[in-house]
Amino acid sequence: MSLDLVLKAEGITKTFPGVKALEDVSFDLRRGEVHSLCGENGAGKSTLIKTLSGIWNFGTYEGSFSVDGKKARFGGIADAEAAGLAVIYQELALVNEMTVAENIYLGHEPTRFGFVDWDKMYKDAAALLDHFGIEIDPAERVGNLGVGKQQLVEIVKALKKESHILILDEPTAALTEREVTILLKIIREIKGRGIACIYITHKLDEVFAISDRITVLRDGKTITTVNASESSKAEVIRHMVGRNIDELFPYVKTKSGDCLLEARNISVENDEGKMVVRDVSFQVARGEVLGFGGLMGAGRSELLMNVIGAFGKRISGEVTLKGEPFAPRTPQGAIEKGLVMVTEDRKRYGLVLEQSNGFNLSLSSLAGITASSGLVEVNREVRRNEAIASQLQVKAPSLETITETLSGGNQQKIVIGKALLCEPDIIFLDEPTRGIDVGAKLEVYELVNALKSEGKAIVLVSSEMPELMGLSDRIIMLSEGAVGGEFDREDFSQEALLAAAISASVDTPSGDTYE
Amino acid sequence: MNKQLSLRDFSLFIAIIAIWTFFAIISPSYIGARNLSMLSIEMSTTAVAALGVLLIIVCGHIDLAIGSGIGLFGGLAAVLTTLYGWPAPAAMFLSLIAGIATWTCMGALIVSQRIPAFIITLGGLLVFKGVFWKVINTSTVPVNLGGESNLYSVLTTYYLPSVYGYLLATGVTVAIAFAALKSRSSRKRHHFEVEEPETAFYKFMLKAIGLFIAVTVLNMYRGVPLSGVILGATAVGIYVLTQHMAFGRYLYAIGGNEDAAMVSGVPVRRTTIMAFSIAGGLVALTGFLQTSYAGSSTTSVGDLMELDAIAACVIGGVSLKGGRGTVMGVMAGALIMASLLNGLTLISAPPEIKFITRGIVLALAVWMDVRLNRK
Repeated sequence: MSLDLVLKAEGITKTFPGVKALEDVSFDLRRGEVHSLCGENGAGKSTLIKTLSGIWNFGTYEGSFSVDGKKARFGGIADAEAAGLAVIYQELALVNEMTVAENIYLGHEPTRFGFVDWDKMYKDAAALLDHFGIEIDPAERVGNLGVGKQQLVEIVKALKKESHILILDEPTAALTEREVTILLKIIREIKGRGIACIYITHKLDEVFAISDRITVLRDGKTITTVNASESSKAEVIRHMVGRNIDELFPYVKTKSGDCLLEARNISVENDEGKMVVRDVSFQVARGEVLGFGGLMGAGRSELLMNVIGAFGKRISGEVTLKGEPFAPRTPQGAIEKGLVMVTEDRKRYGLVLEQSNGFNLSLSSLAGITASSGLVEVNREVRRNEAIASQLQVKAPSLETITETLSGGNQQKIVIGKALLCEPDIIFLDEPTRGIDVGAKLEVYELVNALKSEGKAIVLVSSEMPELMGLSDRIIMLSEGAVGGEFDREDFSQEALLAAAISASVDTPSGDTYE
Repeated sequence: MNKQLSLRDFSLFIAIIAIWTFFAIISPSYIGARNLSMLSIEMSTTAVAALGVLLIIVCGHIDLAIGSGIGLFGGLAAVLTTLYGWPAPAAMFLSLIAGIATWTCMGALIVSQRIPAFIITLGGLLVFKGVFWKVINTSTVPVNLGGESNLYSVLTTYYLPSVYGYLLATGVTVAIAFAALKSRSSRKRHHFEVEEPETAFYKFMLKAIGLFIAVTVLNMYRGVPLSGVILGATAVGIYVLTQHMAFGRYLYAIGGNEDAAMVSGVPVRRTTIMAFSIAGGLVALTGFLQTSYAGSSTTSVGDLMELDAIAACVIGGVSLKGGRGTVMGVMAGALIMASLLNGLTLISAPPEIKFITRGIVLALAVWMDVRLNRK
């Protein structure tokens, strides 16, 4: 084994019930290099990181990896940290109300006679920040810093633990151009000190600006590892998508009817006042599936949630439904007009998990089964729920089974069933197959085609390219909240779609500033 | 899930038996007809308030202003009746409307301004207490003048003649049997699990016998108290509301997962405000019962009753996180609280002991809630 290799993983296989997330993945990391991991959503990047950083304990995966030549048997994150690994996630783990120095030394406060030695803490923190050339006052409250500076504090906090392997998971997702530039500069600097970095991002510009080597994952397998200097964006994209659309998707051509929903120039701000959707227009007709693609955080869910009145603040734009102005203030208003959404995160937005299947199925459509006395008509309710449950082939002992006990696929069917019971004309499906097994996926695909044949208008959000291309009549790719490209079915190609998904970062001239 | 619930039901039963045995040993008159009759009136005040707060807790909020509200609306009705000479029904009606309106405002503040219910109702606790004292001018206002009874005073002094008591018990028994048979046949038709016929029959017999024993005991004193009938009607109303109407489903959905409820098209705001409105009405009703039971409105009426009501809910299995709780559980919880307080009064426990006991029971109940939730 070469002394240069600080981390070497061989034959890592990680299986979740019904899904092989990683299959025989090999990966190595040299001292002082930046090694980027690329791949589509669900390619296995996060799973690999979680394996390396001890979140998946030793023994829950096959294969092995070694750190500094010693075989790693991590029983948790603490073991990984002790071995010199530090992970920086997209979501920051800082306490906003504390100062920079307090955050850096959180849990490791220097003490004197049992009391926190504040002088030493601030002096050490200042020295540390200075050491990396970061101009942040250690006494500043972290909440007052921008996201970019917070990210830097996070990095300093990780490096203070004397880690020599730094894993950065989408560190720039929330950063401005300037902050990205600073971050990349710091990474180059720490790399010069012999610290090795695993860098994960969707932004290929950054990948090429910073990496020594690039490993592409796809469907849980290592596709290739290349030297950045000898490769190109086009090659990496090709490796990322390089597969044929499976025959999973029995596309049904239907004659699309009149336009049901039209949105023009929608811009949306989230609660923190950040623009998450910029000037997006779309329309969808009867018997048509409109697909929305894009990378995570491209603003797809935000756009749809805003249209149904469940998210954010509409800055501009208007929506018409069946030709009439449509501006529901709550999803209830949308459902009354025949528009219902199956949300992405079924645990958070889809289900009341502690209640029964019947309760969840009925929840959106109780008005339709309430008698004039105000009482819910139990017999009608049960008949209706039974019909939809058997139509969707929900596998559960009974309608009274608590929904939490079902598998992901069956939970998803309950969410879809709940939506269908509203008898909608337009259905928004946001990642309808996330986290469910292949069999259940197929059933969802068949359902989408069946609904389309019935003349429903469907808007589908999916991060899985084959699924999106297999089901949609048209696809709009969003990129950082804006339309990156719109494609008709005959123009679908994975390369073109992916290029549109990352168009915003490819097109901006700022790409040069990284160099 | 079912096992856990039955464990809880069983422990409630044991707790009631233990409390009754304990006080009966110290003071045998505890289980005498007279005291049990008093106990049933005291339970009805605690339970009506607890049924109101049940709605609020199920949808994920909390209400600390109940006690002050009880004093205020009972006092308002007493002042209108006694000092202004209003007919008692009119006074109570106006006070009831005031209760509903006040609580509706609190609910609206909570959902529209996103202020935690804890804070709004804590403020309410103080504000309403102040308004209450202002209304009764920190004096004592009787609910009726010169022993002349009115609708207000008879709330807790009227008892059904024994024949009516038995008739009522018979009617309720028939209704329970009818409802049980109907639900059984419909569950069978839909292939849901049904209990063994024997189990169902024994359960029914247990309820029927319990009911007739209760009526018999109450008849040995003066009969079934009117306040017991009021509680029964309230409980049936809240039961139907929570179990058989869309509003009830919405409450459980909001308490269980507010985001999912919102996206599913549940009118989250309206439902939450409605829960507060109904609770406000029940607070006023409790105010009338409590003030009538005391005979007059004084500054201490309603003191700490918010805690008794919340404790009754939590003891009865209502989750403070929202989304879980039943009318029957709350009734059992209220019976436990009332039994404790009544017993402590009967054995002339000093007020400091009463405070300590209440506090410990409340903490124990929440501890149990947390433990059962964790599983």
